[in-house]
Formats: sequence, structure tokens, C-alpha cells
Amino acid sequence: MALNLTRRKFLQTASLAAATAAVSGCFANRAAASTPFVRKPFTAPGSFADTKTVVGGVCEMCFWRCQLVGKVRDGKLVKLEGNPKSIDNGASICARGNAGVKLLYDPDRLKYPMKNVGKRGAPEWKRISWDEALDECAAKLKAVSEKYGPHAIAMFPHGASATYPMGFFEKVVGTPNISEASFFQCRGIRDTAYVATLDTPPDENVDMANAKAILLLGGHFGENVHVSHVKRYLKGLENGAKLIVVDPRFSASAAKAHIWVKIKPGTDTAFLLAVMNHLVKSGKYNKAYVTANGVGFDKFTAGIAHASLEWAARICDVPAKQIKEVAELLAANAPNVSIHPGRHVSWYGNDFQRERSLACLTGLLGAIGVKGGFVAGKGPKVGKAGGWPAVNEEHAEHHALHKMAKKYPFSPPGTPTDLIREAALTGKPYPIKAFVAWGQNPIQTVPNQPMTIKVLQQMDFVMVCDIMPTDITMYADILLPETSYLERYDMIKPGTQWDLAGKQQQYIAARLPLVAMTAADHERKDPVWITNELAKRMGFEKHIPVKSQEEKTEKMLAGANLSIEQLIKEEGIRVQDGVEPYGKVLKVNFFSQEIADAGFPGVPTYTPVPEPPKGFARLVYGRAPVHTFNRSQNNAWLVNEMPENPVWLNDESARKMGLKDGDRVSLVNQDGVKSRTTTVLKVTPGIRKDTIYMAHGYGTMNPAMTVGVGKGIDDQSLITKGAVDPETGAHGMRSCFVKFIKDGKELSIPA
Amino acid sequence: MQCERHTMTDDDPGVKLADIYRFLSRSIEFPEPSWLDDAYWPAFFALLAGIGWQDEANELRRLRNEGAPLLESLQIEYTRLFINAVPHVIAPPYGSVYLSDDGTLYGPSAVRTKDFYRERGFDLSGEADIPDHLSLELEFLALLAEEGREEEEALFLRQHLRPWFPRFKARVLAEVRHPFYRVLVNLIDFFTREEWDNGFESDET
Repeated sequence: MALNLTRRKFLQTASLAAATAAVSGCFANRAAASTPFVRKPFTAPGSFADTKTVVGGVCEMCFWRCQLVGKVRDGKLVKLEGNPKSIDNGASICARGNAGVKLLYDPDRLKYPMKNVGKRGAPEWKRISWDEALDECAAKLKAVSEKYGPHAIAMFPHGASATYPMGFFEKVVGTPNISEASFFQCRGIRDTAYVATLDTPPDENVDMANAKAILLLGGHFGENVHVSHVKRYLKGLENGAKLIVVDPRFSASAAKAHIWVKIKPGTDTAFLLAVMNHLVKSGKYNKAYVTANGVGFDKFTAGIAHASLEWAARICDVPAKQIKEVAELLAANAPNVSIHPGRHVSWYGNDFQRERSLACLTGLLGAIGVKGGFVAGKGPKVGKAGGWPAVNEEHAEHHALHKMAKKYPFSPPGTPTDLIREAALTGKPYPIKAFVAWGQNPIQTVPNQPMTIKVLQQMDFVMVCDIMPTDITMYADILLPETSYLERYDMIKPGTQWDLAGKQQQYIAARLPLVAMTAADHERKDPVWITNELAKRMGFEKHIPVKSQEEKTEKMLAGANLSIEQLIKEEGIRVQDGVEPYGKVLKVNFFSQEIADAGFPGVPTYTPVPEPPKGFARLVYGRAPVHTFNRSQNNAWLVNEMPENPVWLNDESARKMGLKDGDRVSLVNQDGVKSRTTTVLKVTPGIRKDTIYMAHGYGTMNPAMTVGVGKGIDDQSLITKGAVDPETGAHGMRSCFVKFIKDGKELSIPA
Repeated sequence: MQCERHTMTDDDPGVKLADIYRFLSRSIEFPEPSWLDDAYWPAFFALLAGIGWQDEANELRRLRNEGAPLLESLQIEYTRLFINAVPHVIAPPYGSVYLSDDGTLYGPSAVRTKDFYRERGFDLSGEADIPDHLSLELEFLALLAEEGREEEEALFLRQHLRPWFPRFKARVLAEVRHPFYRVLVNLIDFFTREEWDNGFESDET
């Protein structure tokens, strides 16, 4: 065996003797020198190499929060599984959930606080200490707050880790300018429309497992996967529920549908009005429920009386008899029907009225509080902790842009994104000079990227906190690395068994770390620590509500007579007897005086949206089962499953355009904006000629995402013109039109 | 329990080599004023002089004498090469990034490296520490060398460090902007390159 003889001999030479003396001199204080190693007698494998099952995981590869266990071998997470004790997802998790392991050990993950010594958008990073990073963040944020007022700080948060800092910025610092993508680019419209109609946000609370009919408007389950949600849906189908899918595309759900309504995009409200008008005119609605619980029903019926089957058929480009068939099928199975409220609903800029229509249809069928209908499980009570005191909330409210402009009265909490961007760019009614992104990548969540970039460029200070180098991190002055959902104490997840008609049970799960939060090669911190350190430096120390993430978890669990220790003893999930969920009655505002008083139609109303210019088709987007947008686009396992997002084109159109399945194409939109990348073409009869489809969350432009960069097309880059929903101020993002580019040539899409 | 140093005389070649490994281990950590001080540079230059790399020593000496803020430029370059950067982090200094199919941290080869430490009576201080960081592997070599465990040292080099080091080195050399890291990875290469019976190993990349 070679024994480094040459090297060892070499060490004896005179020249190197001097060198080693100098090198050794660097370690003069040898005894005190510590090493990252400890001595430990060798133990034979089998005793230490066992795989431990660590409980307390709650997934965050998407927002659904399945309960997990981690298989941990010798400090390393080797596998994630559903927690067998779960009465929600059970032992099942999806592909993304499985791939959490890959997120944890992604070499591209942010490791240390960094300072941008280059430019915003073209960063050069320097690792800095937490003290330096936090001192600078606090000083810059304070300077902006003192010069322009706290409302000059805008925050774009997302996910469980952003809840605590968001409370700090809103209530203590005092800025109203918080734009959550989950509201303004996703579900906020749904929530406020249902609150205005049924006085409750709907979540996805339809009892599909026990429904006799299910109506999905754009819902594409199977491509869109949330485990217990899909379980409800599939159980319903297994039990023979009739499925109606309204979608311009032959989605995974359309493939299982009894009726596929191949609707023209943008016209869904007209469709729903015609369905409701038909039910009213033919007397096939739930008169008892409506009489007992309906408000403004006469105004409602008068207001939708124009919506004949033929009227809607023309608008929606579907047969009148199919609309009738849908109405009759729903009536025949009422009240046990699931009118799904949807989740991502910020589509066309006329979305509030569509969501109102869905809520009214639910009421019209009396599909509330009954098996198969709109029913929420009754979850257990848990404690509250980590709420910041409302020190400057009043200041925030006085400076809320939509209130100052008397616009968007049905805005979800926070401030509509475009009002923030416009204020930043015009300085009116006041300047916005600091930007905080926390877990959100506004480059890919918000339409009109050039505008967002301009907004960022005019800031005095940009701070970003994330786990991955997403697009927005390229614009940070200071970049802070967070622990992931697998390494931290965090939120509590309460709920019920997934099948509402099953044995009534409740559960409480808490997100506990599955692997150690610290390691020698990084300095990631949890959001409570980061926020508290910022608060101290900004002079708000006395308002800090909890000292640590762990304390917050303990306090919340204490509200359910639980502790972290006890929860671990109970295998990570407390399961207890539940409460019957059925029987709850909700008032239905068919006509809403509140909405009418605000100057909007009090009866659900269809407003047409712009048509595609000649040669263009409307770009719509959706989910892929193996991706959650940005969050997973650098995950090597998931990228391997679906490396890019094929763009769907109608087969007849393709033939006329000379395109074939598998061609490499790029897209150009109505404003001449071209996609940065190309993707593969999918030619199919399963899409309308006026519609182009692709999955969202591809084509990141940040090369620091070494796996995901440039793969597929970033649909958001083409959405230069977001529509804005007039009631809510939320974005509509199926508002752009595209043509194809093949080999440098633009190809028009035939009508 | 921290490691206690084996009692050997400083003249022992194993101890000298241990000091060199430890010096290199420290050098491939993030540059901090706590160790990158006035004592560090003479040692670095002496080492280069000792193996006859006069040009490299002169180049760095010149750079240092120019009085530019050397520490900060090293910190920026270190961040870019080894932590996070645009267009992408150049060369994560972890073995399994190069040795696993999916380029993961803490891949199977890292587990084997940790097993190797264990079988030799060493463990990492933190339970979630990533075992195959270059700095750790060099420190481990120092621990073996100062106890005179030459065969194990050679085995570790052959089975754990050298299978990935040339690929890491190639990535650094292709992209490096600061001469210090060019010289440093070559220096680490010099002191870890295995000499087989029939001569030096091939310089695979």
C-alpha cells in the first residue's frame, strides 16, 4: 500500500521544515484548538445505525399540511412518510411531500445571511454575520420609517413562516402595505365573495365524499393534488357521484366527468347565471331552504331573469341543452351536491361575481349543512400565541391605499398588489421605499414582471428572507436564510377526519422539527428568532410576544391541554372524539345590499372580458401534480418527473399552423413580450382553439436555482397585463393572449 | 469531549503533515479575521516556498502589498465559489454533490464518510453536520496523521476525498476569479494527491 512516502519524505527536506514550522506556528495554542470532531469509541453497526421514526412533521411542500413522520438514520433524514396515526392524509403523501428530503439537502439552499455588494438584479453576494445583517436591516427599515412613515414599508409574505413577521410589520411597525399572494393572486376573491354571500370563507369545505353530484369550475384534481382533498373527491366518485367539470381543457377531472362543459374562458359567470335562472324558472330549486334562509331572493330572480339557456350558450360557446342538463343533474341530486368554491380563483378580473354565483348556487340548491354539501368539519380548539399587540395598527389602517382611494371595498386583508406598486412608482399618495419579501417570490406570483422590477429598483432598501435562491432574492440588498419546515417548530394543524360522514374525530398536530435545526455548515434561523432580533433593533423589544418558536408552539398546545412532550408521546397527533358537522344552516345573501351600497351589482352579474386579438389565444395555466410552483422547481426529484411544462394547443389549430406534437416552441404575448425560454408542444383535441394551457411555476430566471433554471416556460413572464377585479383589487391572471414562435418565426393561431 | 492531542514530538513527520492538513482545513473555511491574520500569510507563503511554488507566493504577496481590502474580496469570492451566487454557486465543497446521481447534499457517499469517521473512533460534534465538507475531511486527515495512522489516512484519501476532489477542483479552477483560491485548491491537491506504487494517480476530472 502506498503510504504517502514521497510526501512524508518531502516533509523531511530542509525547505519544508521551515514551512511546517511556520504553519505549526499558526496553531501555537494547540491545546485550546477545538475541532469539529469528538472522540467516540466505535460501536458496531446495528446499534447506532437504526432508523428512528421521528413524529411531528407537518408538510409544507404545498399549503395542505399533511402530517408526516421522518425516517431519520444517524441524524440524516432518509425518507418522509404520512403519519400512520393521521386521520387526514393517513399514511399517504404525494410526490412533492416525498421530495421534501431533496429540499432539505438541496446544495443551492441559502445558508448564511448575505449582503449584496453588486447590484439589485445582478447581485454579488458576501456572506455576513447575523449581527451585521440584522443591524443593517433594522437601520434601513427604521430610516425609511422615520423619513416616510412606516407605511412606506411594503411586505410580500407567504407561508407559515411569514405569519409571525407579518404580524410584526402590520401591527407593530404599522404598515398596511402587505400583499399576500395567497390572497391577491389566489383565493382572496373567493373568501370575500363567500363572506358577502354566506358570511363565511369557504375553504374547500364541500363534502365531496358523500355527494351525489360534484360541480368543478376549473378544478383539475389529479393534476392538482392535496391528499385528503383528493381522497374526498375520489370517495365521492367511487360512491357514484355524478361529476360535472366546466373547463376549456380536457383536464384530469374532465376525463372522469359525466358532463364536460368545454366552456369559453372568461364566461363562467354567464354559465352559472343560466343554470340558476333555469332552476328558478322551472321551480327546481330548494324552496324550503331559500324561503327560510334566503335574503333578497326576489331581487335576485329578477336580476338573473335575462340569463336564458340560449343567452349563456352564445356567450359560453356551449350547447344550451348541456347547460340545462347540468342544471337538471344538480337539481336531481340536490341538496347532496358539492358546488366546489375553487381555490386559485384570480382568473379574469370578473371573479368576485363568479364566486358570488357559486355561493348563490350552493344556497339555491339548499346544499348547506347536509351530506355532500357545503359543510365544514368541526375542528378542535387550540390556544393562540405569538400575536403582536396592535401598537401601530391604527396608523396602518389610516394609510390603507384602497381605503384612501375608496376602491376595492371587498379587498381581502392587506392591500391590493397594484395599489402598492402604483404608489411605489408614482410616489402618490405616498412613497413606498422599503420592500420585504418573506417566503414569497413576487417575480413569479405577480403579473407584469417589468413593473415589479421597477418597483424594486426604486426602493431605498430590499430585504428578502427565504430558504431557496428564488427570483426575488436576486433583488435583495440583504438576504436572510430561513430554516425549512422540516427543521423548525412552527404552526399547529387542527382538523377532523377526512370523510365527514365517518366516525367523528378531531386531531391536533404540530409542526415539530424532524431533524436538528443547526449544523456546522450553515446559519439558518427560524422566523420568530429573526423577527424578534429585528424588533429589538428597531426599538420594539417590549412588544415581543414570544421568545422562541418553541415557546409559541408550547403555548398554542397548552390551549388544548397538550404539550410538545405529550404530543410526541401521542405519536405527533392527538386524536379525540369529534362533533357531528351536519345540520348547520347559513343565511344566503342572494341579493347583497352591502355590495349594492358599495356601488357594485348586488345580484351576481356577468361582465364580459376582452377577447383575444386576431391570431392570439388566451393563455390559461394550472397545476401539475409534482410541482408547487416556485417552491419545488429546483427539486431534482420532481424536476426529473416533469422537467418542463408542455404547452397545450388544439390539434386542428396545430395542423393549420404546421406544428406537431413534441415541437420546441416559445410564446409571444399581445404586448410583444417573448418567453425567455422554449418548451415542448402538446398537440391535443382536449383544448379549445381559443385557449392555450400550461402548468405554472416553471422557467425560473435565477441561475442560482441550478436544477430549475430555464426549464419550461414561465407563464408569469407573459402575463404582462393583469386584470384587476373591481370589487376586491385582486389580480386576474388569465388575462393575456399568446402566439407561438417556432424557429424564430411568429405563428398566428387560427380562430 | 473534544479531541485530545496525541503526544508526539513536533519532529514527527505525521505531526508536521497533521499541521499542514489542519492549516488547509482552516484555509478552506470562510475567511474571517480571527484566523486570516498577520500570522497566517507568512505561513502560507512559507508553505508555497517550501514546495517551490515561488511564482504563486509572489503573486499573492504582491496582491497583499497592494493594500486592497483583501479580506473582503476573499469573502466575496468564497461566497460565490462555495455558498451562493449568480449564475450559480460554483463548487459546493461537499463530496456527495459530486458523487451522487442527483447532486444532493448528504448523499450516500456522505453517509459512508461518516461511517468511516465512526469506525476510526471519531464522531461529528453536531448530529446534523454534513460529514463530507472539504474542511472536515482535511481536519479528519489531520487527526489521523498526528496519531501516525498512515494506512487509514491513505485509505481515507483514496476512498473518500480523492474520488470527488478533482471534480471539485476543476469547477473551481474553471471559474475562480481570485488567485488565492486557485492556489489553495492546487495546494490541497498537492497535499492530498495519492501516490500509488506506479506513480501519481491520474488527474481525473
